[in-house]
This record gives sequence, C-alpha cells and structure tokens, in this order.
Amino acid sequence: MLWRMTGDDAVADSALDASLQALVGRQGTVQVAGDPVDGPAIRAWCDAMSEGNPSFTDEAAAAAGPHGGIVAPPATLNMWTMPDRIEGGTAGRDTDQPQHAAYQLLDDAGFTGVVATNSDQAYERHLRPGDVVSAQTTLSGISPQKQTALGIGYFVTTEVAYANQQGEAVGSLSFRVFKFRPGTGRSRGDGPAGTTPDDSPRPERPRPRWNQDQAWHWEGLRQRELRIQRFTGSGRLVHPPVVADPVTHSMDYDWVVATGRGFLYSWTAPEHPKAPAFDYPLVVGLVELEEGVRMVSNIVGVPPDQLEIGMPLEVCWLDSHDDVTLHQFRPARIERREGTLTMGEVTVGDPLPPCPIDVTRDLVVLGALATFDQQDVHHDRDAARAKGLPDIIMNILTSSGLVARWLGDWAGDGAVLRSLRIGLGVPNHPGDVMTMTGSVTGSVAGSVMGSAAGSVTGSVETGEVGAVTVSFVGANSLGSHVHGSAELVLPEGRRGAGENA
Amino acid sequence: MWTPARQTAIVGIGATEFSKDSGRTPMQLATEACLAACADAGLDPTLVDGMSLFSMERNHEIEVARNLGIPRLRFFSMVNHGGGGGCATVAMAAMAVHTGAADYVLAYRAFNERSWHRFGSGVQGHHASPEANDVSFSWTSPFGLLTPAQWAGMFATRYMHQYGATSEDFGRIAVADRRHAANNPAAFFHGRPITLEEHQASRIISDPLRLLDCCQESDGGVALLVTSAERVQGLDQEPAWVAAAAQGVAADQWMMRSYYRDDITGLPEMGVVAEQLWESSGLGPSDIQTAMLYDHFTPLVLPQFEEFGFCATGEARDFIADGNIEMGGGLPVNTNGGQLGEAYIHGMNGIAEGVRQIRGTSVNQVDGATNVLVTSGSGVPTSGLVLSAEGA
Repeated sequence: MLWRMTGDDAVADSALDASLQALVGRQGTVQVAGDPVDGPAIRAWCDAMSEGNPSFTDEAAAAAGPHGGIVAPPATLNMWTMPDRIEGGTAGRDTDQPQHAAYQLLDDAGFTGVVATNSDQAYERHLRPGDVVSAQTTLSGISPQKQTALGIGYFVTTEVAYANQQGEAVGSLSFRVFKFRPGTGRSRGDGPAGTTPDDSPRPERPRPRWNQDQAWHWEGLRQRELRIQRFTGSGRLVHPPVVADPVTHSMDYDWVVATGRGFLYSWTAPEHPKAPAFDYPLVVGLVELEEGVRMVSNIVGVPPDQLEIGMPLEVCWLDSHDDVTLHQFRPARIERREGTLTMGEVTVGDPLPPCPIDVTRDLVVLGALATFDQQDVHHDRDAARAKGLPDIIMNILTSSGLVARWLGDWAGDGAVLRSLRIGLGVPNHPGDVMTMTGSVTGSVAGSVMGSAAGSVTGSVETGEVGAVTVSFVGANSLGSHVHGSAELVLPEGRRGAGENA
Repeated sequence: MWTPARQTAIVGIGATEFSKDSGRTPMQLATEACLAACADAGLDPTLVDGMSLFSMERNHEIEVARNLGIPRLRFFSMVNHGGGGGCATVAMAAMAVHTGAADYVLAYRAFNERSWHRFGSGVQGHHASPEANDVSFSWTSPFGLLTPAQWAGMFATRYMHQYGATSEDFGRIAVADRRHAANNPAAFFHGRPITLEEHQASRIISDPLRLLDCCQESDGGVALLVTSAERVQGLDQEPAWVAAAAQGVAADQWMMRSYYRDDITGLPEMGVVAEQLWESSGLGPSDIQTAMLYDHFTPLVLPQFEEFGFCATGEARDFIADGNIEMGGGLPVNTNGGQLGEAYIHGMNGIAEGVRQIRGTSVNQVDGATNVLVTSGSGVPTSGLVLSAEGA
C-alpha cells in the first residue's frame, strides 16, 4: 500500500527536517576500537574476499614487500570501529554520535529501512597488526526528503577521520546511507529496487535437437560437462561432431571433457530483430577452446563494448529448458598478476580485465562477518524478507573488499591502493553473478602522494612512482551493483630499480 | 539426344545391410554407403569432387563431405521429384564428368524409413529423431544466432580483427551499390543514393553489421534462357556467352556457419569457383571489366575480391577505396545496384545485369564490357559465371 502524505504528516515532516538539520555539522566523540588490528581478522577478511596479496598474510613475503611487513588491506579501514567493536560500546545507538541521533529520529518517524549507498575511502597510512584504530565522525549532511525506487527517505552523510594509537591519521571515509520508510518504493512493492514483477511467460529459446550421433554431447551438458568428440584411433577432436573421422574414416569415437577454458575468436551482438526468448544486449561468440576446437556460445557477464578478440573465457551454464542445459562463456577470472604493474605498462583508456564474481550465499554471509557487520539482512534470510527483500544482500564493506581484491589481482602485490570510492545500486543477492569491468581514466607519473605512496618508495627509488585512476562497474542480473573509482600507486617501471630484463 | 553415349561409367557400388532397424543414423548409413562405393572402386574418397542427389534426400552433400573429409566439391545437384530422380542422379553425374565439371561423382540415398519415421505413414507432424540437417542448427540457434545477418556478423568481426577493416569499409560497398541503383529505374532504391555518413548512422542490426550493410527483402522474379551455340542463330538477342560456369564447396562447409575452419575470414568455396572459372575460361582478373558480386551482406563482398585474385588476401579494403568499384573506377561492381540497391532475387538479377552489360544495354553501361564476372551466394555452397561477348 502506498504511503500517502497527509496534512499532519507534512507538519511532522517539517518538524523532523528541522531536528535533522540541527544535527548537521556536529562532531561526535572519538571512538576507539576495543581490539587492535590483528592477523586472524585480516586472514578471515582475505579468505572471504579471495584476496591473494601476501603483504596481508605472509610474514616472510610481506617483509620483502613494499610495506616491510604485514599490513591490513586498506579497504578494511572502517571495519575495526564497527559498532560492535567499539571499546565499551554496545550494539545499541550512542546518541553522543550525531549520526546515531539522526538515525534514531528517523526510526521514530517510521524511516526504519536503511541501505548504505556510498563509501569514499582515502588511505593515508597502512594499518598494521597491533594498531588500535580510533574514529571521529562528523555528520556532514542530510538531504531533503527524497523519493527513490526503494522508498521515501533521507540521505545521511558522515565524514569519519581515522587515526592510530599514536594519533597519526590513517585515512578518512565519507559514508552515505539512505534511511527510508519501508513500503514506499516506486516499484509497487515486494521486489528489490530495480526489479519489476514480470508476469508474462517468456518463450523458451529454440530447442536444440539431436539424434544418437550427438546425444552424448547434450547429455554431458546436462551434467555440466563440455564433451568434445574424440576419434579413438587418431585422437582427433571434432566439434560439432560427425560420424566418421574426416581423415581416417574410422567410426570409433568417444569424448573428452573439455577444461571449459578458451578464448574469444569472434563474436556478433544481434540487436534487430529481437527474439523474445533472449535478453539484450545479447552476445553470441565463437569460442576457441584450449583443446583446439571452436564452438558457438553466448558470452555473458561482459558488455559488447568490452569484448576483445583473444580475451580469456571460462564456461558457465544455463538451464534453458526443463531438460536442456546450454554452455555459456564468461570472462575468465584473471590470474593474479605476478609482480607488479608499472606505470610504463598503463595507458589511459586501457580496459581492466573483466572478472565475474559468483555471489554465493557463503560469500554474502562470510563477507559480512569478516567485516564485523552483524546486520541481520546480510546473514538472515527471514529477517531480510521481513524487511521487504527477497533474500539477504551483500554488505557494502564486502563490495568494497571485492573491488579492492579485483584491482589488486590486476595491478599486483606491490600496487598500493590510495583511495576507493564506491556507490551502490541494485543489491547483490545470493545466486547472482557480478561482473567487474573498468578502465584506466587517469595517470599521473612521478608524483608522490602521502605516506601510503611513501611506503612504496621503500622498494623503489624515491619519486619513481606514479598513480593511476581507474573507474569501474560491477553489474549483476539486476543492473549496476557497484560503481566508482580508485587510485593506485604504481612503480614507475621504466626507471625502476627493480625492473627485470 | 544423349550426347556422351558410352563415354561415362559407374565404377563403384556400395551399400549398408538392409534391415527394419539399422540402429544408426541416416547420416551414418550415407557415410558408410559412400565409403563402400569408393572402396569398391579403389578410389580415395577425398578425390570425390561431385555429388548428385535427388529430392527427399535429407543427408545433404555438405554433411557427407564433412564426414569423408572432402576438400572441395565442384559439382552438386539435386534432381526433383523423389524416387523418379534415381537414374537422373547418374545422368547428372555423367554430364558432369563428361564436361569436366567434376572428376568423380557420388550419387546416394540413405534413410531409416522403417525404424525412424515410417515412410508409408505419410505426413504426420515432425519426426522424433532429427536428421543431420535438422541437427545442424542446434549448434547456433539456442544461443540466439538466428538470422543470416547474425551468421554474417560472426565472420565480419573476425575479418575486421584480422585485417583492420572497418565498418566504413563495409559501407563503401553499400554506397557503390546505392549509387548505381539510383540510376536504375528498375531498382527499388532508384533515385536514392546514400552517403558513407548515412551508412555509419544506420542502426546496428547485429554488431558489427548495420542496417545499410544488409540487402533488402524483395518480391520479384527473374528467369534466364540458355541454349547451345548452334541454336543461337535466328534468335533476337546477341548472345552472352557462358565463358565459364562453376560450383564450389570447400572443406568443412556449412550453410553460412562455416565457423570451424582454421581460418574464417576467407570464402574458400568461392576460391574453388574462382579457380575453375579462370582455368576454363582462360581469363583472369585483369580481363574482367565489371562484376556482379553477391551482396546480401557487405562484409561478405570483400573476401570475394580476394578469392578471385583482384587483390591479395586482406587487402580488399584498399582495393575498394577511392571509388574503384563505382562507375568510372577500375572495376565497377553491381551496376544494377546489386541486392542492396536493385532487389534481392537471390542473385538471379545479378546474372541478368551481367547479360545486359554484355549486350551493352545496362543503365550503368561499362565501356568495353566484354567479360563479366557473376557470383552467387557467399558463405554457402556456391557458384559463379563468366559471361563473355565473344563465343567460341
């Protein structure tokens, strides 16, 4: 049922607005983490994000790395002072904190729903195990009442300054949440933002037909096996299958199960006419498998303008009919770079390798727990449903962590993240796939920025660093889940002392 | 009057066992029978270069050729009317080998008309066990690759990647066709030339193909009458002599979906045609004044210049630049407007335009047009002609 504004509500809202605006500009007391930064928490975070940088976990490798020892992943900046981690704190609201006071006012007025929408982090200094993080929050802004797809509510923005036990600045966070009145969304209701109920039955894709000469291939797909015909005498692989070896004319064959890895050989993106069984943009690719045969397949998880012939792909699956499974291909998860990307290897406009991330239930739950986020919508499906969501949703710290991990996979162990700014769109629910894509949007050579960059110069001659800016999008089946930009400090490369022949 | 009397022969026969339940697909039966006929003759099956079929044969020659590993077919025909065509397959094969159209021609029939779909039950819906030709679309259609433009798009992307061709290069074909059509009162697009900018602004149909890369859909008909040299006298028109005519299928041939060859940027079946046309006509690219090249989709016109030797592989984009294929250029192409500009009558209107060029009656007459190249469908089992003003 739509919430309707009455005269009384209008008066109440205007009083609420005044109370809210009175909080803007207020600074809270310093909050100190109850526990220091520690190895087990860092490792749990790395496990959840599939982060592979040894600077975060491996004592020996970290000692030889850019920081001279283990550091916490930068994207963990705000997790050490999450509400349940504050010294002497409780899970409840601390009205000494202006943002909590604002949340309480909004809760009382019925704006009980909350989603994080933006997180802009900048890193001054890397946290190390043993560091005790403190945070001081300023409520920097509250928007006028807004109608969004999610509902009617207010954007609340805070600026948080983080310091270590020596009082040295370690980083800052600009954080925005949307507090809304549940049930006032534009989309009639039950679905999450960005979904619309679709009650018209969709026609099925054209049904593949087969006879006994190819049935084994389709039975394989049903079992999520990509089977390629192999003539047993010659060992020749043929796809699509035939009945006789085209050279020896032997009719004795079996099959091999393909690794599912290959690369894009060619593609087309049909636009007109649109067939109702398909989602557009639709990409049909010609995939050359590692085994040497080609097959036509959909390429998913990458928009047409990011396709590149030769890009590595991996198989995934689509149950297209009650009794038919089709192979699909998506960008292969990139191998973590050996060594570190250098400035000399980067040009503005370069695409980053697309990367699909399976949003499993484990990832959502473990990601929330590893970032000390105990809000029920991140681990409890019943609680999520009670709040109008179809399922649990990924928390913003996990989204940040996954973006940071992907950037690190691309840039390598020695790259240093200087800032990470993200905005959230549609939610990440379990069972979906989020594909990261992005490109280099800026590059500054030879500049040294802050002590985060300074720590890179420990292994590279002073000044022989630069910074690149990348912008990115992580999209799932509902649309854009996360978008934003990041700055990374990279070694110069061309003049770097560590450059290899 | 049957000309080649006692000059051709059946030299091999092969068969499977005859049963009520073969347990194998018709494609396997066809393959086994063809291999057996070759073995009986003592012929390497890859030397077969002709296939003679009669209608209701559902094992198409390109599928049998994939199984036999045949590198090229120069002759293939389908005689109509089912069982009545059996001996006609031999008649066609005999004419082919007698004229040199092919060296070795296989004729065959294979099916499971008892165990799969009983022939005697008549027409009752579609069959539970699809045959090879039905199966072939299963490798593409479930993925949304459904239309000829989409099939062509896959080739186009690879061609662009490999040779640096661009959408504008494709557009130059359309611009030339439409310029010629603009001057042709019989063309659908009479008086409506396009610019390259208009081509670039036309909507994407299947990336990288744009609307103006695709031929029209047309209603219409074209017919041609052919006779022999001794009967040319006494008719009303100057003859357009068939200096050469040829068919072509290349290795691993599919219908517009030959995606599994080592290289997919060429049209090797067109190469089989080209080789025969030049050899039997005694002519070459430099003897041709104008060409009617099959243009259902512009990206598949470019490799035709390469297969016929008008330019080197991958260099068609340079060959067609600067108006070289328009009136006044080195090789005006599709002077009727082609299928993009005049009408899409599956290439038969291109043959008619070739005849008009030989007669000197084209609306876009090329000076001194004495030899005209005409091609048929690209990306499919195909054929070509050289028409000439000079008879034997």
